[in-house]
Amino acid sequence: MSERTPAEGIRAVGLSCTVNGVPAELDVAPNKRLLHILRDDLDLTGTKRSCEIGRCGACMVLVDGKPVNSCLTMAYQCDGRSVTTIEGIADADRLDPIQQAFLEEGGYQCGYCTPGMVISVKGLLSVTLDPTDEEIEEALSGNLCRCTGYGGILRSVKNVIAKYKEGY
Amino acid sequence: MGLNRSASGERWRVRPDGPAKVTGALAYLTDMKASGMLHGRVLRSPHPFARIIDIDTTKAAALPGVHAVLTYKDVPGLNAYGIAVQDQPVLCEDYVRYVGDAVATVAADTPELAERALSLIEVEYEVLPIVDDPETALEEGAPQLHPHGNVLHRAGYKAGEADSAFATCAHIIEETYTTPRQMHTYMETEGGLFVPEKDGRLTVYAPTQHGLMDRLQLSRILAKPQQEIRVVSSPIGGSFGGKDELNIQPYGALLALYTKRPVRIHNSRWESVRAGLKRHPMRIAMKTGVSEEGRLLAHQVRIVADTGPYATLGAEVLNFAVEHVIGPYRYANLDVDSVSVHTNNGMSGEFRGFGGNQAIFALEGQMDRLAERLGMDPWQFRRLNMRQQHDPGPFGHPIAQTNGAEQVWAALEESSLCAERDTSGDTATTPPWIKTGTGAAFVMHGAGLGFGIPDPAGGRLQLAADGKIEVLFGYEEFGQGLIATLELMMIEEFGLSADDFRIMIGDTDIVPDSGSSTASRATSMMWKSLQRMRDPFRQHILATAAKRLECEAKQLIMGSGGIRSKQQPDKLLLSYLELAAFSDEPVVVETNFIFPAPDTKRVGAHLLYTYAAVAVQVEVNTLTGRVRVIDQFHAVAAGPVMNPQGYLGQIEGGSSMALGYTLTEKAVMEQGQYMTKNLDTYLIPTIAESTGRFEVVPIEDLPEGDEHGPRGVGEIGSVGLAPAIAEAVYQAVGKRITKLPIDPKELQEIPSFMGKAVRNG
Repeated sequence: MSERTPAEGIRAVGLSCTVNGVPAELDVAPNKRLLHILRDDLDLTGTKRSCEIGRCGACMVLVDGKPVNSCLTMAYQCDGRSVTTIEGIADADRLDPIQQAFLEEGGYQCGYCTPGMVISVKGLLSVTLDPTDEEIEEALSGNLCRCTGYGGILRSVKNVIAKYKEGY
Repeated sequence: MGLNRSASGERWRVRPDGPAKVTGALAYLTDMKASGMLHGRVLRSPHPFARIIDIDTTKAAALPGVHAVLTYKDVPGLNAYGIAVQDQPVLCEDYVRYVGDAVATVAADTPELAERALSLIEVEYEVLPIVDDPETALEEGAPQLHPHGNVLHRAGYKAGEADSAFATCAHIIEETYTTPRQMHTYMETEGGLFVPEKDGRLTVYAPTQHGLMDRLQLSRILAKPQQEIRVVSSPIGGSFGGKDELNIQPYGALLALYTKRPVRIHNSRWESVRAGLKRHPMRIAMKTGVSEEGRLLAHQVRIVADTGPYATLGAEVLNFAVEHVIGPYRYANLDVDSVSVHTNNGMSGEFRGFGGNQAIFALEGQMDRLAERLGMDPWQFRRLNMRQQHDPGPFGHPIAQTNGAEQVWAALEESSLCAERDTSGDTATTPPWIKTGTGAAFVMHGAGLGFGIPDPAGGRLQLAADGKIEVLFGYEEFGQGLIATLELMMIEEFGLSADDFRIMIGDTDIVPDSGSSTASRATSMMWKSLQRMRDPFRQHILATAAKRLECEAKQLIMGSGGIRSKQQPDKLLLSYLELAAFSDEPVVVETNFIFPAPDTKRVGAHLLYTYAAVAVQVEVNTLTGRVRVIDQFHAVAAGPVMNPQGYLGQIEGGSSMALGYTLTEKAVMEQGQYMTKNLDTYLIPTIAESTGRFEVVPIEDLPEGDEHGPRGVGEIGSVGLAPAIAEAVYQAVGKRITKLPIDPKELQEIPSFMGKAVRNG
C-alpha cells in the first residue's frame, strides 16, 4: 500500500497531538497512516508493521485510551488527540504490571506481536480490571501471535488480573 | 507431570531478551535506519510463466530521486541462489516461472518514489501456458519449466515385496491424503538494512536462520569475498523455516553496493506472500494391509509434492517425507515412492516439520482406519505395531536408541483424555448439534539435516578483557528462546551468574561455524558444544587463576562472580575481571564437530529422533461444520528439558501452527496466482481458538550411556495434531477427513427439524 506524498496533490497540514504525553507538531499529509508517522517520523519503532490492513494488531496503539490499529488510522484522525504507544506504557522506573506479567509468564517468543498485545491488554484493563474469559478473548482476538499459540499470553493476562485483585 | 511455571521452580526464568521485547525497545533488523539511506523495492513478475522479451528501465532510471534500477545485467557474480542447489535467479533474464520471480530492483529516496519507479519499468513478456498442478506437470506434453524438465527429485524406499504381500493381507486400507500450501506467517515480514562500509565491506542486517550460509550465498552473487561481507542476522520476528533461504538480501546488497549508500528494504505482507516460501502441498496415496491379528504386512506409499518453480530444499523435504511416511512402526514389506515436481505455483520450501507434517497426517490416518477395520482400539493397534527399543530406524538404518516410542505411548495411556475417551463429553446442557470426539496420533521426528548433508556444529568460549566470559555460537534467535536456553545452560554447567557472561550470536564477523538454526538442532548442538568445551575451558581458566593465586588449580572452582575456593565456595578469590587482566594469553576454547548422523548410505537418514504422542478432544458443530479443540495432551520424549519455558512454548506454539494447518490455513492459488494475499483471507489461529486445556508432559530420561543429550523440540509440536484432530472428528461425527484444512461443509448436517420443515412444506 502506498502513501501519497504532498507533492502528489494532498497538502500537508499540521498534525497536533500528544504522543506518550509529549506534545507533537508534525507537518504530514492528513492521510498519512499513524503507523508510518510513529515509525518513520518519530522513530517509535516499538509499533510494528505487519499486515497493514488492520488484521494482525502488531501496530496497535491507544488513541485517547482506546486501542486502534495505527495502520488504519490517518493523521487527521489523531489531531488534538492523545496517542500512547508501547514506549509510553511503562513508568520511567518501573514496567507496567502488564509488561511484568508477560515477562514472568513468558507471554512472548519472537516479540514482534508483543507491543500490540500489551497495548490491547492495557486497553482492556482500562475498561475493567476483572474481565471475563469472553472479554479477554474479544479484546485480544485482533492481535495475532504466530509463536506462542497464545497459552503464555493468556497466562500473562490472568497473572496481571490476579495481581490487580491482590491490590498491585 | 505437566510442564508449567510452578513445576519448574527457579529454572523458569525471565528471558534475557524479554525486557526489550515487552517495552518495544528491541530494534529488529527491519526497524533499523541509517542516515542517507535509500529505499529498495523489487519488481516481480505478474505472470506465473512467461518469457522475457525485453526489459526497459530507461523511464524508471530517469525519475528524479531514483538512484539505481538494476536487472540481471547488473549481477556481478552468480545470478542464482539456493541453499542446496543454486537455480533460483536473483534477477530473471530469460524466463519468469512464478509470480514472485524478481525482474528488477530499484533504490530511491523514498518508498513512494521506489514504487513509482517500479511502475515505470517496462517489461515485455511472452506469456506461456502454465502448469499449476504437479500431476499434470508430469504428463507428457506438459509445459516444461526447466531444461531438465519438471521433476526436481525422486526418492523411494523398498523392503520386501509389498505388491505380493497385499495378497496375504486380511484387511487393506487405501486412501489419498491431500495437504495444503501453508504459510509461515511470521509476524515480521522480510527486510533489513544494507550498508556499504568505508573500507569496501558490506554489512547486511537481515534475518536468516544461518548467517554464514547467507554470507556464502551473497559472496557468490556479488562476486565478493566472504570476508568482505558481514551478515548480522538476529533478532528476528519469527521464521519457522521461512527465512532460512535468501529472500530480499540479494537486492539490498546489490543496491547498496551499486549506489554506495545504505539501502533499506521491508516487504509488505503481500510481497512476502507472493515471493515467500510455503509448506509443500502434497498428495499422499497410501495402501496399507494387515494380518487378521492386526500386524502390518504391507505399506505402499506414493507422494507427489508441489515444489514450485525452483529447488531450494524441495529435495530434502521430500527425503524427509519418505522417511516419515514409514515412521515408528514395524512393517513386513515396504514400498515408498515419491516425486517432487516443479510447477508455476508459489515457491515451496523449508517449514517447521519439514515434510513430516504431511507424511504423518497420512500415516496416522491409515493407522486409525486400519484399527477400525480390525475392530481394534486405535491406540492398542499402534502399540501392537510400534517399533521396539533397539529396532533400526525407518530405513532399516542404525539410530541412537531411546525408548521414546514406548514412553510416549505409556504416557498417553495415563492421560485424563485417555481415561475419558470412551465417555461422551456430551452433557445435558450440550446442544444436540455439538458432537465431541477424542483422537490421538504418534510421531517419530528426525533432527539434524541427516546423513550425507554438511551439518557442522560448534561454538566458542572466551574470556574477554572486560572480565566477561563470551559465549559464541552461530545460531539465530527468531523467538524460540535460544538465548534464554543458552543462558540457563551456562549457569547450570559452570555455576555462573547471568552477568558473568555475554552471549554473542547472529554476527558472521564474530561467530564460529555452528551450522544452521534449523531441523530442531540448535539446543542439542549448544548442549553438545558445551559438553565438549566445559572441561578444557574450566581447566584453562583454573590454570590461569592458579598462576595468579599461586596455588594449585585443583583447589579452585569456577563460580558466580569469579574463581572460588573449592574448600570454601563462599569465598571469592579472584573476579573474572582480575583474571582477564592478569592473563597474558587469550583464554579461548573452541569446538567444531558435525551433527551426529547414522552409519548408512541413505542421504537424509537421521540418527536422532524425538517422539511424541498427541491426544485431543474436539467439539464439532454440525450446523456450522466448525471444529473446536477443547483439550490437548502432548507427551514428548526428547531427553532432558533444557529450558522449561522454551520447551513449553515450542510445543504450544507448534501445536497452534498445526491447529491452523488442520482447520483454516491454506494459501489458495488459482492459475498460478495467489488468491489469499493477506491476513484477511489467510486465517491463522487467534486467541479465541486457543483457549482449550493444554498439557505437555516431557519425558526426560534417556538410556544409560546416551551421549546425545537433549533432543530437539522445535518442530515436533507442529506435527501430530492434525491426524489427532482428524480422528477426533471421526469419533465425533463419523466422517473421515482426507484433506486439510478440514472443509466445514463436509461436516455440516441438516438438522432433523429442518428436514421436517422441508417435508411439511
